[in-house]
Amino acid sequence: MIEILSDTALATVQDLGRTGALNWGVGTSGAMDPLALAAGNLLLGNAAGDAAIEIQVFPFAVRVHADCAFALTGADCAARMDEQTLLPWWSGMARAGQTLRLGLPVATAWPASRAYLCLAGGIDVPEMLGSRSTQLRGAFGGYAGRALRQGDLLRAGRPGGDVNGFGAVPPALAMPLQQDGLPAIRVLRAAEYDRYTPASHAAFWGEAWRITPQSDRYGYRLAGPSLTPIAPIELRSHGIVPGVIQVPHGGQPIVQMRDAQPSGGYPKIGTIIEADLWRLGQAPIGSRFRFLETDWATALAARDANEAWLAGLGRLANLQRLGAAAA
Amino acid sequence: MTLPPVDIARISEWLAASGLTALELRGPGCHLRLRQDRGTVTPMEAPSARQVVTSPGIGRFLTTHPLHSTPLAPEGSVVALGQIIALLQIDALLMPVTAPAGSVLAAVLAEPGEIVGYGTPLLELHPIAE
Repeated sequence: MIEILSDTALATVQDLGRTGALNWGVGTSGAMDPLALAAGNLLLGNAAGDAAIEIQVFPFAVRVHADCAFALTGADCAARMDEQTLLPWWSGMARAGQTLRLGLPVATAWPASRAYLCLAGGIDVPEMLGSRSTQLRGAFGGYAGRALRQGDLLRAGRPGGDVNGFGAVPPALAMPLQQDGLPAIRVLRAAEYDRYTPASHAAFWGEAWRITPQSDRYGYRLAGPSLTPIAPIELRSHGIVPGVIQVPHGGQPIVQMRDAQPSGGYPKIGTIIEADLWRLGQAPIGSRFRFLETDWATALAARDANEAWLAGLGRLANLQRLGAAAA
Repeated sequence: MTLPPVDIARISEWLAASGLTALELRGPGCHLRLRQDRGTVTPMEAPSARQVVTSPGIGRFLTTHPLHSTPLAPEGSVVALGQIIALLQIDALLMPVTAPAGSVLAAVLAEPGEIVGYGTPLLELHPIAE
């Protein structure tokens, strides 16, 4: 069991998302970096989709009230268990009485902005509509349907145990994606793509986009060249999913992220492929990236590559645990 | 039980022919550690004040975490018992190589980034000067 010591409003319990409830108007939620959440779980022998804490405001601290195996993935926050420094993407034992502290994300080979704290057996919160993710808009799921507060107590699904720590190589290093010196995100054309001017198309693919401070789990507002439709576009509200790139009247795109509403009326120029949402989910505010046009087959292959990377990590981590148990 | 010298000579021949760089044999009352370099087999020094940390398995030897640019424990630094002083990368997995005692990391023996095998000497540790 751990107790939240920080009074930051924006740490939430998340899993891989509440898919399959969009027809009831319930958004998906889930980890902004699902690969980091899954990797942390696999290091512990959990199911990839067990619930963990997503931390996006630092510093952040928890006190350990009962021994428990844990893993920290995502942004490297120079974490410490009491005085002992922890490596990023690492697992280990948290002992009763210890305090885990995460600092600001440090500059590394992979700039990232969100950290994941996984506990053995997952964070023990009830499943709601098939997921343990916090649905902030509907105020249900996760821990009491809200962001974590100072004093909240969270239980591990499988407390106790005794593990020797080991880690994972961050997938950003194993699966790098860059274009002209900037991180790249792969995009499929969306329904209204053809209704934009050729100059807008050229700018969309050719120019760098900056993530503005008006960006959060609901959506990222981007800054870059103005995107202009050939003729004004008026649409009725329709279903949207995380990854959809909308263009409001100002011409500066908005990317819908994990806490996106399930419907919207802005025209859609593109959709970030599901397999690359984690890259944007970790991109720091103020950083720049490029959109890279892709096709359906590549999008599916990218999803398969993510799955294969996780499967490989899970297999090796299980072998490691078996070896340690036999020794 | 101790190994007769004739057995050590035979094991040395096998090691020289095998292409392996090191051999470690443990049994009740015996501990044999041999190193092979281009066909020449020499006994490794008996564990003494000077300690050699060997690889716990097969993998890529790393002295720096893949996200970082500074080594986990630079040569000449004082390391604590249990401190992670190097890593062994096995595909997506990173295994810790820890200090068996409080000591000074005197030398990195293996080439960082290279694949090492079980028992390959990785790091040399010296006692902390009085």
